[in-house]
Amino acid sequence: MIVNKKPSLQCISYILIMVFSLLIFSIAAAEEGALKAPQDDGKNAVSVDVKKDVQDAGNNEAQLTLGKKLFGERCVVCHGASGNGKGPAGVIKVMEKSGRVLEIHPRDLTSGTFKFRTVSTGCLPLDEDLLRTITDGILKSFMPDAKVLKLDERKALVAYVKTFSPRFTAEEPCKQIAAKMPKWVGSKDSIVKGEALYKKMKCPDCHGNDGSGNGPKSNDIVDDWGNKILPFNFRTGNLKRGSTPDNVYLTFTTGLDGSGMPSYEDSLKDEERWNLVSFTLKLMNKAEYLK
Amino acid sequence: MKKVLLLFVLLTFVLSGIAFAGPYEVVDVKGGGSITGVVKAAAKVADPVVKIETTKPEEHQLCGMTAPSGMYEISAGMGVKNVLVYIEEVPKGKALPKMDYKLTNLKCQFTPLVGIAYSGSNFVVTNSDPVFHNTSIGLMVGGKRSTVYNLALPGKDQVITKPVRRTGLNSVKCDAHPWMRAWIYAAKNPYATITDADGKYEIKDLLPGTYKVTFFHEGFGDVTKDVTVAAGKPATLDHTFSKK
Repeated sequence: MIVNKKPSLQCISYILIMVFSLLIFSIAAAEEGALKAPQDDGKNAVSVDVKKDVQDAGNNEAQLTLGKKLFGERCVVCHGASGNGKGPAGVIKVMEKSGRVLEIHPRDLTSGTFKFRTVSTGCLPLDEDLLRTITDGILKSFMPDAKVLKLDERKALVAYVKTFSPRFTAEEPCKQIAAKMPKWVGSKDSIVKGEALYKKMKCPDCHGNDGSGNGPKSNDIVDDWGNKILPFNFRTGNLKRGSTPDNVYLTFTTGLDGSGMPSYEDSLKDEERWNLVSFTLKLMNKAEYLK
Repeated sequence: MKKVLLLFVLLTFVLSGIAFAGPYEVVDVKGGGSITGVVKAAAKVADPVVKIETTKPEEHQLCGMTAPSGMYEISAGMGVKNVLVYIEEVPKGKALPKMDYKLTNLKCQFTPLVGIAYSGSNFVVTNSDPVFHNTSIGLMVGGKRSTVYNLALPGKDQVITKPVRRTGLNSVKCDAHPWMRAWIYAAKNPYATITDADGKYEIKDLLPGTYKVTFFHEGFGDVTKDVTVAAGKPATLDHTFSKK
């Protein structure tokens, strides 16, 4: 490096500008803290707009490279390279035993809206929620399980799936809802109470009196993407997320975001939701799950 | 050496920029400017009638067979009511009001049809009907809907309170009654309003600067316009919608 004996005028002005810029930067940073303090009561959602790094996955470049590779091999055919759910496989139609034809639209991963979560309505799924769906697949939907993959590979897929929606970097994760099944779930008394709640909560409006998904509102429902969807038929087997009591309870509690199934977390007490589990497991003929 | 210094200076400016472009900052606004205007329709548009299509007789009894949609409320002077007028990005300005957004399911319609909710406040959703409603609030992002809350309100007088978390334009629907609809702009700053029956609006207490103002109407669509606001003065920004 050549060192000038006298610093040039240009060089001095660069240094002055630099010092000035740093000063502005410090004042701006100080002001931001001072001005935000009065409005921040800890609950103020203004601060929620701040982009934060949430949950652990997503930063590791090697993990993302692996996730992208696996996504390309296993997921693109349905979910598309851009994750918008419009892969070459397209919409799949399946017919139930009842004769109903269900249209299966692969999830549009770009909207950050997911049905199978352990968090309240409107919340992003937790990493473990996405991991569960990727690991176990989704019943009756042609979404296969990925048990053949190692845990690290499945985690890499989770990290990559999260890159499709900016929600995962902009929002904080919500508190997980614990499904703690009381011992009395499945008892005669609980089933009777659950049946009364099934009617009181107007479940038959969509799911029908006998649970076969043919209620008076069953043909009116569209999802977030404007696709017509049909309510679950309790008479034809499993919930897509699996019919364990915990999964049934979580469905009532969290709702299935993006679909017509709302959350009953605020409309029913915890105990009532478990009574509803007792009754609907009976409707599904899945009492063996309680043993 | 010069290049290194230049790079450092540029980097410092970029970093300063990031500091300024943070979240909405609350400051004292004294002698701020305002934006006023009128939103008009180029021609009268007939207000569509909503058909109450249900197979449940008790719902017809409660909600009738048809209802005015209230979509096009156009005054004699062609002013359009219920246009959302908002500035999405404002770096700093006055504090957001602490005001919950009350949304009611009444006779199989949402009331109000259009309104502003504020970040930091709550949605308070009520079912005033003796029938099942679910209130599904969805953020519109790039023309796509993303569920913010989907709440079951199976009984009369059920009330659910939820914080306003994600900001932007929301469409509200009830899956049990497809004709039901509402629009809520969830604002991260207080500079949002709706037009009155004459199509007039006013956004007050803005710091001087140039802002991007968006006008949204469920039937006419949306448009964004630039306006420059000077201290202590009202700037005028009108818009005339034409039916697409």
